[in-house]
Amino acid sequence: MNHDPAITSCSIDGRAVFAAPKLGQCLRTFLREQGALGIKKGCDAGDCGACTVWLDGEPVHSCLVPAFRATGGEVTTIEGLGQPGALHEMQRRFLDAQGFQCGFCTAGMIMTAAALDEAQRADLPHALKGNLCRCTGYRAVADAIGGSVEAQEDVAGQACGASLRNPFGEAIVTGHARYTMDLSADEPTLEGLLHLKVLRAEHAHARIARIDRTRAEALPGVVAIFTWEDVPRRLYSTATHEDHLVDPDDSYILDNVVRFRGQRVAAVVAESEAIAEAACRLLVVEYEILPAVFDPEAAMRPDAPVLHDKGPATLGSRGNIYAEIHGEVGSVADGFAAADAVHERTYSTSRVQHVHLETHGSIAWRDEAGRVHVRTSSQAPFIVQQKLCHLFALPARAVHVFTERVGGGFGGKQEMITEDLCVLATLATGRPVKWEYTRQEQFTAATTRHQMTTRVKLGATRDGTLTAIEVRVVSNTGAYGGHAGETLAASLGGPLTAYRCANKKADGYAVYTNLVPGGGFRGYGSSQTTFAIECAIDELAIKLGVHKFTIRRKNMIRPGDWIESVWSDPSDVDFGSYGLDQCMDNVESALASGRGAAKPAGEAWLEGTGIALAMLECGPPTEHRSGAEMRLVSDGRYHLAVGSTEMGNGSVTSHRQIAAELLDCAAGQIDIINADTDRAPYDTGTFASTGTVVAGQAVALTAAALRENLLGYASHHTGAERAVCRLESDAVLCGDRRVRLAELYAAGSAEGHRFEAKRKAYLSPRTVAFNVHGVRLAVHRVTAEVRILHSVHGADIGRLINPMQCRGQIDGAIGMGIGWALTENMIHDDGGAVVNPSLRNYRIPAFADVPPSEVYFADTHDRIGPLGAKSQGECAINPVAPAIANAIADATGVRFAHLPLTPDRIFADLGPAR
Amino acid sequence: MNPFAYERASNAAGAVAAVAGHPGAAFLGGGTNLVDHMRLGVASPDLLVDITKLPFDRVEELPSGGVRIGAGVRNSDLAADQLIRSRYPMLSQALLSGASGQLRNLATTGGNLLQRTRCVYFQDVTTPCNKREPGTGCSAIGGYTRYHAILGASEHCVAVHPSDMAVAMVALDATVVVLGRLGERRVKLVEFHRLPGDDPWQDTVLGHGELIVAVELPALPFATRSAYRKVRDRASFAFALVSVAAALDVEGGTVRDARVALGGVAHKPWRATQAEAALRGAPATAESFRRAADAELAAARPLDGNAYKIPMVRNTMVAVLRDLSAEATP
Repeated sequence: MNHDPAITSCSIDGRAVFAAPKLGQCLRTFLREQGALGIKKGCDAGDCGACTVWLDGEPVHSCLVPAFRATGGEVTTIEGLGQPGALHEMQRRFLDAQGFQCGFCTAGMIMTAAALDEAQRADLPHALKGNLCRCTGYRAVADAIGGSVEAQEDVAGQACGASLRNPFGEAIVTGHARYTMDLSADEPTLEGLLHLKVLRAEHAHARIARIDRTRAEALPGVVAIFTWEDVPRRLYSTATHEDHLVDPDDSYILDNVVRFRGQRVAAVVAESEAIAEAACRLLVVEYEILPAVFDPEAAMRPDAPVLHDKGPATLGSRGNIYAEIHGEVGSVADGFAAADAVHERTYSTSRVQHVHLETHGSIAWRDEAGRVHVRTSSQAPFIVQQKLCHLFALPARAVHVFTERVGGGFGGKQEMITEDLCVLATLATGRPVKWEYTRQEQFTAATTRHQMTTRVKLGATRDGTLTAIEVRVVSNTGAYGGHAGETLAASLGGPLTAYRCANKKADGYAVYTNLVPGGGFRGYGSSQTTFAIECAIDELAIKLGVHKFTIRRKNMIRPGDWIESVWSDPSDVDFGSYGLDQCMDNVESALASGRGAAKPAGEAWLEGTGIALAMLECGPPTEHRSGAEMRLVSDGRYHLAVGSTEMGNGSVTSHRQIAAELLDCAAGQIDIINADTDRAPYDTGTFASTGTVVAGQAVALTAAALRENLLGYASHHTGAERAVCRLESDAVLCGDRRVRLAELYAAGSAEGHRFEAKRKAYLSPRTVAFNVHGVRLAVHRVTAEVRILHSVHGADIGRLINPMQCRGQIDGAIGMGIGWALTENMIHDDGGAVVNPSLRNYRIPAFADVPPSEVYFADTHDRIGPLGAKSQGECAINPVAPAIANAIADATGVRFAHLPLTPDRIFADLGPAR
Repeated sequence: MNPFAYERASNAAGAVAAVAGHPGAAFLGGGTNLVDHMRLGVASPDLLVDITKLPFDRVEELPSGGVRIGAGVRNSDLAADQLIRSRYPMLSQALLSGASGQLRNLATTGGNLLQRTRCVYFQDVTTPCNKREPGTGCSAIGGYTRYHAILGASEHCVAVHPSDMAVAMVALDATVVVLGRLGERRVKLVEFHRLPGDDPWQDTVLGHGELIVAVELPALPFATRSAYRKVRDRASFAFALVSVAAALDVEGGTVRDARVALGGVAHKPWRATQAEAALRGAPATAESFRRAADAELAAARPLDGNAYKIPMVRNTMVAVLRDLSAEATP
């Protein structure tokens, strides 16, 4: 036996490595230190598969293998499997089918898939148990492994409407794409890199009396420690919106009061992550424990402990009620009086986490001129820049914020979670500082979907015509109020607007409690009320004996209707197009077709069908703006800069397509950069489904302006009439004469002409999009297992810029909706601690849990959205959970009104064993 | 993770000596559970003795008609083994119902038996837990108990054993072969795992430094008709809410013999001896199966959050036995 780790050596992708792993190091971090950055960290616990490599030819989770174990072994990573230009067959398949979105899980997914034999490939639900993807809903993964070619040719003049490839696809499938943390150790900007770790609160509500840092400071390798006494005492909100007034300034970088278990108490920067972590454990904190409250109803009572008392910032709030919204149109009292049937019930949704596979994290450093650079995983780098300037009293030019590829967002990264501490530490130490969230921190110290409890009361006449809709929403925003007001408003918006009814009333409360804060999350409040109302509509229909499709068709909003929820003041929402009727028809006929899996044999299986509809206002009611900049470069190619973030939503692909359509060229002629405060124009952020309707609009306006510039100059250059000049691929046709763009550029620049354009887009008016989901499923009455047999989705999202990507976004949203409906739930104990902060105990759907869905697009062309397109990133999730709940009710005769619909809950309500 | 030293054992006796003589040492098999625990701070051995190169990687037929499974046999290889699939289908099914391919490629037979509970409080070092830190109390009692025990729990611990494989093996009357400093000893698997009692930190009867070298399954001809059924939250891998392993010997409509074990219900894989006794000689009907389940569950004591497990076990057991008896009647 040998005791000397120094002689450890192995081979990584065919190259011999003689470095010794650190004592206690796992293979994942060792390989990354050796430069194998294609390997990703998703969970560090063997649950997600993002770190899958082959050890002596067999796929393993490298996070669970002690690095020493690789001694004498051969490790193959994604970068050794194949290279750009010399792809492995499985990499080529993932490229051809575009079997990824953000691409963060892709390296691991490919390493698993490439090792499967034919029999295993025939049983992917089983073979892919160990690899989680949060973006795709797995259909694209199945397509890839099955070898189907989904991507289409990039033809000049036909870019829009084609399923073009992601321009970074080859980098993604080979592990060469660089995400936030993928910086090699010898990167010059990172010389002297420090690691940051945070000590987190052990109590749900407490005042910090004293922090003894003596022992922590004495630990060799500790460089600095920060507590509330060391930070600028400036209030802010971690939430990012164009209008900062919509979120309460209720947070400090570090506070002397902790309001949830897991809140930051102190930050340590040290020479290594292990030292920083050890130093956190050596800090001694004396708390003065305060009473805590977790239930929002209890928190609203006058005797409840009050969480925030921060003067003007929270002046408008009443006790723990951060925001309340009340409204009524018509008179619900009259409406219920006129009803033949009234249905009333309380529904609730669960607190869930985004689980983007790339955790939060950022790296900050100063350059020689003293500017601060922040490389971060953010959906809103420009607002992060503003917030950093505010917190550290820096001018905007002193701070540069940018993203590399972002590994998923789903609203979780519409938040400044890590950047402030990295900048604080780099300003204090002068050295680069890196901080990467653990998966556990994602659950205990990031943000969640707002848990909402919704009382719904509906009235209707005998024929199913709605006479009154009344809802009361109580939203648990947790310890901080970012997004609380906006999600509450959204919860009372689209879901109530979707139905025409003269009498509507809503009361909403967003309430502080001592739990992990709520935040932005795909569907943003609307999902929660859609769940409640769509369940209630079904229950009302059953009461009246009216079919589920009939009651919806009778009452759903139609063009010409006044688009209103419970506020009678005019809004900027308009029907740019309307395809809800088509969605309903498509889902109904698909369900009636009998396709999908048959009900499993046996009398124990009960079968049911359910549907739900959802309406989305495309974009947020708050201010939102995006800029784009485009120029022709000397070789005749175009360069496009947009501020918007790409986090798997596909915007870098679709933005090129939009520009290519207007410039009559191939998308491949356009190089794109994005999400960089130095190199791209301002963008509010990629959230609230704005990637197409705002940023895409900015790209369209910019490309159109550049086209005018080019044609104007071409006309001047050739003497041809402007009217006979047009662009064609890499040239301008001016009557009979064809001038190559490179030639035009040379001529123009000689004369001092600049071929560039810059435009902004603002989001108003806003159009509307619709989604209808239908499922047929079976419930096992012995085990309460739910099996989805047929899943169909109708989407009205206008013109499809990239059909493959649109379908991918919808498949992904359906997968996420299935998780929300059936398995996902953050559970906290009596002390406010999250008891399931890992992917092992918090279960997002894996391949086996998401059946393929039939997706039908309504044939609409929007007159408001760019090139006829509408929003599509979020809305598909909204009808999924209620459709499943409605189908379970149809199958069992029992209404399950509280998410998630786990076997034990269903089981408990199914009554005595049969 | 805390720093640790690493040795690779070249023979079993050496491995045993290395661990037995060093209080902070631990055997490292597949590491899927141990490495995770080291990262969580649940375990912090200062010496890991890697036993994966020891010659315990074979599945062999025994002269008695049984099978001997080397402790180092990977879960993936065991599940795929022809002998196991044909003679003990419930074991193959149990293995495949758990974990992912990547985990099964690492996880070993011995390590699977030694998996520790997935109780969320046990895995969270900031909470009291008698199993992790004796005498600190049990956070699960009065806490989140959806996954916890309904049988055999104590006031000190209500955790459940997470293994699927062990449930099938316990039903199959497996014997664990253990090597210690004084030589080999054999322990019936049903006695290998312990109930929590007053000392829940002891999962098994193994002493420090004792190494599992093999698991032996006796011949059980009627186990060719056996099944493992697991109820869980998610179709892909998740720990069992409850599970049932059963083999049934039916002739002429009468149960001659039965093997039944339960998972997800107790601190150990639970051999359902009461149910087996009730089944023997009874007509192979749903009524008898229900009675057998009730006999086993008479001792069940649910907590606040897991009362659903009692009817769920009953239903699942009845369903598995019905399916097996239906197979028996052509």
